[in-house]
Amino acid sequence: MLGFWLDDSLNPVSIKFFLELNFGFLIFTYWVFAMPEKLQSLAALFYGLVIDLFFSQVIGFNMIFFVATSYVIHLYVFRFRIFSYFQLAVFFSGSSTFYIACKYLLLSPHNYSYVVLISSFLINAVLWVGIYLIMRAFRRSIFSNL
Amino acid sequence: MATSTPKYTPVRHYAIGFFLSAILLYSDITYGAFTPLRGLANASSLYAQMISNGLLENISNTFYSFQKNRNLVIENKELQEQILQIRTRDFIERKNSQEKIKIIDFQKELISSLNNNNIHIYKIASIDLRNYLCCSTHRIFLQNTKNVSMERNVPVFAGTSFIGQTKDTFLDFIEVILFSDTSHVLPVKSNFFYCDARGKGKPMLISCLLDQNNADFQDQIGDKVYTSGLGGIFSKDVEIGFISAINTVSINETEILITLKTNPLNEIFYGVIGKETDEI
Repeated sequence: MLGFWLDDSLNPVSIKFFLELNFGFLIFTYWVFAMPEKLQSLAALFYGLVIDLFFSQVIGFNMIFFVATSYVIHLYVFRFRIFSYFQLAVFFSGSSTFYIACKYLLLSPHNYSYVVLISSFLINAVLWVGIYLIMRAFRRSIFSNL
Repeated sequence: MATSTPKYTPVRHYAIGFFLSAILLYSDITYGAFTPLRGLANASSLYAQMISNGLLENISNTFYSFQKNRNLVIENKELQEQILQIRTRDFIERKNSQEKIKIIDFQKELISSLNNNNIHIYKIASIDLRNYLCCSTHRIFLQNTKNVSMERNVPVFAGTSFIGQTKDTFLDFIEVILFSDTSHVLPVKSNFFYCDARGKGKPMLISCLLDQNNADFQDQIGDKVYTSGLGGIFSKDVEIGFISAINTVSINETEILITLKTNPLNEIFYGVIGKETDEI
């Protein structure tokens, strides 16, 4: 929720520089990646519904993406564990860019722009590394048993 | 040797979730099935924001009361708001007066309806800034504190021009669709053409498509654009903006870009010309 709230607050400014930040999606994918046994299909569906209700223009968009992304992460979660930071950043930023592209295509095709997608891919790759490190430190300090 | 990694959840659960989401998404996009639900959620979050803002404002006011000029500042604020309200109200009243002088027989009915109209002034509750600055949907929410029942598609004005139409009401909020929303169409005219201008999905921009072979078209960038009144919703001859670009989009078509006069981001009070309505 905090991630999507951040997106809501920062994107009106960042879009002027052709950047679409995606904190909410990246934070969600981190937690699925970090605790796959606790966040499964139902959690993704429910979380997507809540985000759709409060932050989206249509019901179902975030649900479908969260469920699909959650499935892919669950499928390859152990392979991801041996990936480097760079490989992880490329995968998660790629997913995030795909999410942004579909959002524009479906909900706002007039504003679809490859410049936004490319710049968002790069910035979200950088953001992913930051989110990964911060969330991991948070998880280890708060949920030390997880 | 293992060729694949272990999996946690059977694909069945994900497939069910995926198809359920797809059905919800399709029904919402195609039929707007969840519009009331989303409106309710928006209104609820606005309430939460208002309550939290109210709490913060109370706390700051408590500290502020220790200062000697507190009353003066509040009075000043109230007077400023009144000036803004009067300015907004004055615009439409002046337009009404002009209409009375200009419009002849066939518009008498329109004049009488305008004279009987109630002008309601509402303060803005929220603007969907994220979508306004990037995307196709341009909406604002007005705070209907007096619970006045409001009809749909009623003209909304701010500053010195119209800015959109009422779309829906949720709890104590009125949803307004702005001219720049891509789903909004506004009949406009200049000195040389009439057209239906559609929102561009970009702040303060609408556009018209004209036949390039139209010999009458002699407008230039900077020329003023007015409401034509042809839709029967907006009164005619109200200046709504100016021509900011003329682009050739195909062999036969020219796109006229119109920049709107009123910037919703700068306005606090919005007027709605309502019919005679009963308070709830």
